[in-house]
Amino acid sequence: MQNLTDEQLLAQALAGDEEAFTVLYRRRQGPVFRFALHMSGSAQVAEEVTQDVFVFLVQRGHDFDPSRGALGAYLFGVARNYVRRALERSYSEALLHTPADDEAQSLVTEDDPAEGIARRQSSNALWKAVLSLPEHYREVVVLCDLQEQSYAQAAEALGCAIGTIRSRLHRAHDMLGKKLKHSAAAPGPVSRVTARFAS
Amino acid sequence: MTCREFKHTAASLTLWELSRPGDKQIVDHAEACPQCGAWLDRQQTLAVEMQVLQAQTAGREAGPYVERALLQVFRQATSKRQPVVALRSAPVAFRLSRFFELGAYAAVAAAIIVALFLGVRLLEQRTVTAPVQGQSTPAASTSPVQPAQTAGNATVQQPAAASLKREVAAHPVSHSGSTRRPSVAAASQTSDDADYVALMFCDPLICSSDAQVVRMELPVAGAGDHDTQTQVADVVVGDDGLVRAMRIVN
Repeated sequence: MQNLTDEQLLAQALAGDEEAFTVLYRRRQGPVFRFALHMSGSAQVAEEVTQDVFVFLVQRGHDFDPSRGALGAYLFGVARNYVRRALERSYSEALLHTPADDEAQSLVTEDDPAEGIARRQSSNALWKAVLSLPEHYREVVVLCDLQEQSYAQAAEALGCAIGTIRSRLHRAHDMLGKKLKHSAAAPGPVSRVTARFAS
Repeated sequence: MTCREFKHTAASLTLWELSRPGDKQIVDHAEACPQCGAWLDRQQTLAVEMQVLQAQTAGREAGPYVERALLQVFRQATSKRQPVVALRSAPVAFRLSRFFELGAYAAVAAAIIVALFLGVRLLEQRTVTAPVQGQSTPAASTSPVQPAQTAGNATVQQPAAASLKREVAAHPVSHSGSTRRPSVAAASQTSDDADYVALMFCDPLICSSDAQVVRMELPVAGAGDHDTQTQVADVVVGDDGLVRAMRIVN
């Protein structure tokens, strides 16, 4: 069962094979969860999105056409829509300004507290910068830089041309560089957040 | 390499490729141009921080309760889908049962129609034969002939215009006292009626209706004196008054 492709597992799952569905879920839920986590900054939203994506797959999996792309890209596309809906809801505004406490505490702890604090500070600054990007820039950063998808895979998931992905990514990197430079020069809000995480 | 070329080349590289550039021209230009060098430094710093963030969230996954909830949804969806799949897997059986069901309806409808037809026929026969039973001469009430008594037989005199003398007698077939009047078909089937000759093209729908046998004296054709030479014959007369068949009585 582990050797089967995603498409084969999906076909068996849609035929009623629970084991195939479980294998497919365990194989694909991590990337979907992390994509939603990086896009929303909330583990709760990420879990909701993950659940919605696979419920969608159970109910509308017959709509998937393997000739149009890989299942992984298809799942990212579905997850993107659910994340967008989640962010449109009321709590998205607050999430964009302050990442949830559980996210900060789940970061890797260092043996040296000072070094750990510095690392967490820089990571949180970057994450905040990523979360503050406009949505179409954030998507490409999350997919290409954090999910390590190729330009072609990202283009497939987002339904646009590779050139568009490349130009958006280039622009997003510029914006991130500027945001990080500004946050380093004026560490007000980031310092407050990281100080709360460290305490 | 110019700054424009540097930007163009750098735009085609991923963040990870920029963090450790293998292109010597890019490195050389970044060292020579402070502006492009600063830009490349920012990209490399960004790549390092992105790597840290990625490593920190690499192990993150949805909780086990998400999987349990999804399996419940999957089981519910599968159980709902099952009857549909079963129905699709046996379409021939479904169609056959539907065919036989329709066939059964058609058979019942046909049986009802036949029963109604037979019932109407039976009722019609009873209503027609009932008044004949009470009469001494079967044709008296139905034929417009004038009755006349000759030798105890019920004879009927044809009107003068018809120039026929008909003698009404009990039909040989109905001598058993049966009230049923013989039809042409019945007459042709019995041995006594084998001598009957059909006188006209007989439409089965008409000829199968009730008829009466009338004994008549017919004028002999070709004789010199038409009024004196006659021949006794049994004539089968339908309800409509038309002659169906006849036979010569020796």
